[in-house]
Amino acid sequence: DGASVARQKELQREVRHLVEAEEELDQLVSRSNLQLKLLTEEPLNQRLGYVRCQDLRRSFDSPDQLVMVVRAPPETQMQVSEPSEGYQVSLKSSLGPIDVFLCPDSSSGP
Amino acid sequence: IGLPTNSAQECQNLEVERQRRLERIKQKQSQLQELILQQIAFKNLVQRNRQSEQQTNRPPPPNSVIHLPFIIVNTSKKTVIDCSISNDKFEYLFNFDSMFEIHDDIEVLKRMGMACGLEVGKCSPEDLKIARSLVPKALEPYVTEMAKGPISNVYITGGSSSN
Repeated sequence: DGASVARQKELQREVRHLVEAEEELDQLVSRSNLQLKLLTEEPLNQRLGYVRCQDLRRSFDSPDQLVMVVRAPPETQMQVSEPSEGYQVSLKSSLGPIDVFLCPDSSSGP
Repeated sequence: IGLPTNSAQECQNLEVERQRRLERIKQKQSQLQELILQQIAFKNLVQRNRQSEQQTNRPPPPNSVIHLPFIIVNTSKKTVIDCSISNDKFEYLFNFDSMFEIHDDIEVLKRMGMACGLEVGKCSPEDLKIARSLVPKALEPYVTEMAKGPISNVYITGGSSSN
């Protein structure tokens, strides 16, 4: 049947096209991952990669919000309970201590 | 149906294959977009901090800044939080009596405008220019696409889309 063969050809072409597109994406994703890693691990960038407390306050338009900051070593596990079982968060680190602090209020500093 | 079985069957297989790939491509595109946002946001942040340190001629006091990576847990000030900590500070347990939110540092950077509005597809021509300048050339078409708004359909960049 001519129509069906034509349809088959068309689909084959599309799939080939998608295979190429996916391969290109795979490459871009892995290159971007690497770039991001190099970028964030560069010592000067690490020193300059910070936000200020006022950035946090502004981002969470604070007056009625309490903002907790958690700094944890890589591979720290975080577990959040089902809302039906209450509001609970647990943190478990294996590589070092976890730091938790509050973002100071605007009244208590710049 | 009246088609030769092998061809009809083959078309069906191809159709399935096509759908599967489209789904995967969609997923990988959003992964790539997130990586692009992170790259742009981080570079903007570093640039901003470098400039302001140059202006004030000194780094900010250490206790006034929070280095990446971090996460944020925010809740209403009225929420009662019960917290237990192990002695070595390796384990924490928080109980809240009301709702809370968790955000990663990239979310904070986005809210600070460090992603040039790309995360919501709201990007001025000026922002777009900056954003494009912060990624490698191969990613520029993606940035332009993201600036146009949230992407719902699969789009394919590069020369392969012309055939």
